[in-house]
Amino acid sequence: MKVSYVGFIDVVRAEFYSYIRFYKNNRAFLFAAFIWPYLMMMLLLGLGYLFGDPRVYAERLGVRSPVLYVVSASTVAMSSVFIIDEVAGYTLYNRWNGTLPYLILVPMPLSKRLLSASIPSVLLSPAISVASALPVAVYIEGLRGFVLVASLYAAIILGMLPLAGLSVIVAGLVLTTREESNIASSLAPFMLLVSGVFYPVTILPRVLQGVSVVVPVRYVVDIAKSLASTTGAGQLYAAIYALTLMAFAYNLLTVPLLSGVEARVRIHGFE
Amino acid sequence: MVGGGCYGALSSSSAIIARGLVKRYVTYERKGFLRRVKKTVEALRGVDLETRWGEVFGLLGPNGAGKTTTVKILSTLLLPDDGWARVAGYDVVNEYIEVRRRIGVVLSVERGFFWKLTGRENLRYFAMLRGLRGAELEKRVDEVLRLVSLTELGAADKLYEEYSLGMKARLALARALVHDPPILILDEPTLGLDPPSARRIRELIVRLAREEGKAVLVTTHNMYEAELICDRVAVIAKGRIIAMGSPEELKSLIAKEVPVIVRFSSRGKLVEAPSLEAKLRRELGVEKFSLSVDGEGRNVLRVLARSGEEEETIARVVGLLSGLGYRVRSIEVAKPSLEDVFIALTGGEER
Repeated sequence: MKVSYVGFIDVVRAEFYSYIRFYKNNRAFLFAAFIWPYLMMMLLLGLGYLFGDPRVYAERLGVRSPVLYVVSASTVAMSSVFIIDEVAGYTLYNRWNGTLPYLILVPMPLSKRLLSASIPSVLLSPAISVASALPVAVYIEGLRGFVLVASLYAAIILGMLPLAGLSVIVAGLVLTTREESNIASSLAPFMLLVSGVFYPVTILPRVLQGVSVVVPVRYVVDIAKSLASTTGAGQLYAAIYALTLMAFAYNLLTVPLLSGVEARVRIHGFE
Repeated sequence: MVGGGCYGALSSSSAIIARGLVKRYVTYERKGFLRRVKKTVEALRGVDLETRWGEVFGLLGPNGAGKTTTVKILSTLLLPDDGWARVAGYDVVNEYIEVRRRIGVVLSVERGFFWKLTGRENLRYFAMLRGLRGAELEKRVDEVLRLVSLTELGAADKLYEEYSLGMKARLALARALVHDPPILILDEPTLGLDPPSARRIRELIVRLAREEGKAVLVTTHNMYEAELICDRVAVIAKGRIIAMGSPEELKSLIAKEVPVIVRFSSRGKLVEAPSLEAKLRRELGVEKFSLSVDGEGRNVLRVLARSGEEEETIARVVGLLSGLGYRVRSIEVAKPSLEDVFIALTGGEER
């Protein structure tokens, strides 16, 4: 008879394992995951043409190649949607699945448990979106397109770290509320709305512009713009700085917040 | 100690001890469009219990008696509002991580796994979440899959979505065992299973306690099962333990009563259980009985008659049933079972 000791790495390994096995056993789902970024590209292109012809769109956004920007932006958007869906929806999905109590029973505090569970999503979801966008980027820009997408992957990972922290907080809140699906499902559209993926942040109402300052996806979009534009490196460095800061802030914030959530969940139950 | 009250001093041989557990749930009932009325439901009203190493301990009770709430508190998923409990010597409130390290839990056999993963993949995932790695992980997963006969059934590498209920129950038990915990907490582990699957699970539970010395707490409302596998049982009703002891000790509580089993058919019409129950209580003054349907679709009325008054009770019951248009198929005077104890203690409360 043994006493089980579980570390952060054990949970990360377990989540990687289930993530990979899920896609391996669901080829159709994997195929759909590759197609979605293209659907998003079509949506973005459609929105772009609302501004006029592609040159006007490029000028407004301040990018050199509008198509390349659309490829990058759709990759950012899809990665964000995946992460929010997977991390914020983690507790909700497991509640529906009946696996939640067994995940709560892992001998580890809830904050650590949810943070470690988010890591495979942070790394693998953008990888799927980036792999999906790569052929188009290489077709349009050749080697430059490849470099751009590879750089974008690094930027997305950096951007997804704070987003995962935010999503973990939402995942925790989902446990304490009965309106869980409303919270989880409204998060992704809101994040995309204020991130500047669909149109420049500058045309948003002032309040939403203010909110967008604390939304990590906005800075990933800024990085995507920098990579697809001829502008200087200032915007790029500012975005990287903001994301690094947010990654620390949001992830550190999860610990005290989720300790409170865990206590509340144990008082009221999680179902 | 039988029949409620205090269960003696604490001893080091105890795997689980609970004293005075109280749990209240607050619910809100909607009254009109905007108004909600707060309602407090007392699920546990001071539960005391103690289980030992190497023992299968049964927690019996009707639906809503507080079995699952007790299980959730002991497995650290819920906090009690009052009272305390120690599992493997650790407090379930403050030392919950230590408790979780030492327990294997089955909460529902119907679900609780990933549908698009195979049984083996699911088990590997949960084993990793318990800190198992490499060769040890593979060895242990193989071991438990064999132990619960999923390998034998050729189901280990099937997707969970293709599993029958029996296979799901076996996998649920395999997950509880994968990290080889000293204490198992099993909430209705055979619920809904076909007889062969239920028997297999029961045999395994007994073996784990006898041969490996694990402490097993199992909840059930299947009296036959409890009598078969449990060394000691506690009967819980309305949030209180009303009796505790070995099945034989509990049966001695109803030494002055004789179970009479009347099987009857209803000639195509449905048995209106509430109305029949009301008539038994009102017209015959029978308080201790249960009404169920057996495997052949016949209605089974189990009545506890006073010793020496069996014949009179049979005559009155048969008269009532015939008067209501039911056809009596068989009458049997049986030996007392745990089910009769349960009927006697809970007054035939719906199960």
